[in-house]
Amino acid sequence: MDPAVARVLVESTVKIALFFFVVLTVIAYMTWVERRVSAWIQDRRGPNRVGPFGLLQPLADGIKFLFKESIVPPHVYRPVYLLAPALIFIPSMVTLSVVPIGPAVSLFGWNIALQVADVDNGILVILAFASMGVYGIALAGWSSQNKYSLMGGLRSSAQLISYELAMGITVVGVLMVTGSLRLNDIVTHQIEHGWNVLYQLPGFLIFLTAAFAETNRLPFDLPEAETELVAGYHTEYSGMRFSMFYMAEYANMITGSALAATLYFGGYHVPGLHALGLSEPLAAAVQVLAFCSKVAFFLFVFVWVRWTLPRFRYDQLMNLGWKALLPISLLHLLWVSFLVLTGRG
Amino acid sequence: MRAEFFLLVAALLFTIGCVGVLVRRNAIVILMCIELMLNAVNLTFAAFAHESQSMTGHVFVFFVMTVAAAEAAVGLAIIIALFRRRRTTDIDDASLLRW
Amino acid sequence: MTERDVVIRLLLGLIVVVFAFAVIRALAPARTVLAGAALAAGAVALVALNPAALANVEFWAGLVGFAAILSALMIVIHPNPMVSVLFLIVNLFCVALFYLILNAQFLAAIQIIIYAGAIMVLFLFVVMLLNLKAEEGLTARGGGPQRIGAVILGGLFAGLLFDAIRDRGPQPYFEPGSFASGFGTARELGGLLFTRYLFAFEAASLLLIAAMIGAVILAKRRLR
Repeated sequence: MDPAVARVLVESTVKIALFFFVVLTVIAYMTWVERRVSAWIQDRRGPNRVGPFGLLQPLADGIKFLFKESIVPPHVYRPVYLLAPALIFIPSMVTLSVVPIGPAVSLFGWNIALQVADVDNGILVILAFASMGVYGIALAGWSSQNKYSLMGGLRSSAQLISYELAMGITVVGVLMVTGSLRLNDIVTHQIEHGWNVLYQLPGFLIFLTAAFAETNRLPFDLPEAETELVAGYHTEYSGMRFSMFYMAEYANMITGSALAATLYFGGYHVPGLHALGLSEPLAAAVQVLAFCSKVAFFLFVFVWVRWTLPRFRYDQLMNLGWKALLPISLLHLLWVSFLVLTGRG
Repeated sequence: MRAEFFLLVAALLFTIGCVGVLVRRNAIVILMCIELMLNAVNLTFAAFAHESQSMTGHVFVFFVMTVAAAEAAVGLAIIIALFRRRRTTDIDDASLLRW
Repeated sequence: MTERDVVIRLLLGLIVVVFAFAVIRALAPARTVLAGAALAAGAVALVALNPAALANVEFWAGLVGFAAILSALMIVIHPNPMVSVLFLIVNLFCVALFYLILNAQFLAAIQIIIYAGAIMVLFLFVVMLLNLKAEEGLTARGGGPQRIGAVILGGLFAGLLFDAIRDRGPQPYFEPGSFASGFGTARELGGLLFTRYLFAFEAASLLLIAAMIGAVILAKRRLR
């Protein structure tokens, strides 16, 4: 086989394996973070029995889910019922794979870009797979052949497609100042011209709100709230399949945080790192750590908002998406065009 | 790759869509077969653009997609309006204007 | 091997696969998953016979073509409209892969965003809202000679199209790297759209507004 092709295959396989391992571990420990932070906000202790500070709690939860009996109700439409949990995971994983974690490093004589796939139209891949995220939920709701699940699935899908619009328009604002669809170019532009959040703050706030809605997190989690519609679209799921929905929600959170960090907060940029004059691998490691801490900060914001704000009612949610966020994002786009025309962006 | 392969596959998809429109009775499946035909046409345009190294084919595909989106939206709205009256999506029922 | 041979092999392979699947399913109805696994094993064995084919773009294009034609057939054949929607989504993905092979990467992304991500969601919603069940009478019995006639005419039409395509004469073959850099990117397409095709672009935006207003009004409930 052609050595260049072999090299690409090996590099991609290693990156994908590492990527999966890291993301799944982060998802597992997000459950721990959520429980500890929510306990802190509510002035109580979180899990602290299983291992030091309760750090082995996710392991215990995982084992519990694995051993639970996985019931497939007889009335469901089996092929789609079994497929739906996987369909929810795939979009968030693909979206994360185009996000650059650090600058390109040269290890072992090769030049390795620290992202799984450096595509020329990274933003379009993100938008494409954000729109595909609707299917897992809608199909989970429909395949359960149960009117509560169907309504929950429909509500959740309607919410997702409504907030996708505002998110897309704010991303177009970022694109206008950058002039390229590659995520690496967006980070490079922010390194040269300052972080996008500094002069596109409304866009960032809209993006963050839309990310909350896209991941079905409070304050927008009506479709899956325990007090509504039984349990929404995952009513008929039990055991490992139910935990896949749970994990997919955290995966979506990680994706949303990584995108917010990359598009608005400079990605892996550490201001003032050049002045330190570190060697290249060390500088790359520091930048990777900086990216991870930005993602961690946004994940903390996700958890913080969840345990602080009350839930929106469904019609309030749709009103907010269509009558508030969409016009504001269009005005924001006008503002960004003004910036670009006057040469500021 | 030669364009002929894509033209042949697109021709097959177009034919399957045509037969679908003629054979099925559910209005929504008929709309889906129309979308299939539009996709086949898009594929043909993209194949010819690839062959003549000109981006005009891509512009055509862009506009066909736009029109397909508009037509799907309006077609589905019509079907919903029909369904509200007759509780069925069978198009053989929508025959009031026949002679 | 010309492209026509590839398509004929695709069709034959399709017929063999469908036939084998139907036979296995008829003989052991509770073991459909095993039937699928057996077919996949057969496919892997075929690939193992000629592993150099994996690096060939024609092999992958043929595979994607197989999936596209199979899913298109399932759209037309399967009685449940929800399953037809799912197969159409698979078909749209296959067409997006075709666009990637044809150096049209912007079109591939747009295909997934607009077709598979928005238009099909619309179809999905309508099918779920109208709660459609499987259609009765999809066999040749119900609807009778019209349906058989339609299928025969379809076959003849396909033959006509194949003949027209085959008559085109020798075609140029492009190496993957021989395109102008930027062919198929958003920048090039935008350059064309906003200069030469500006009028069509603006007219398309008017069309979309008209369609939006029309769809909302047509599907609205009467306010009592």
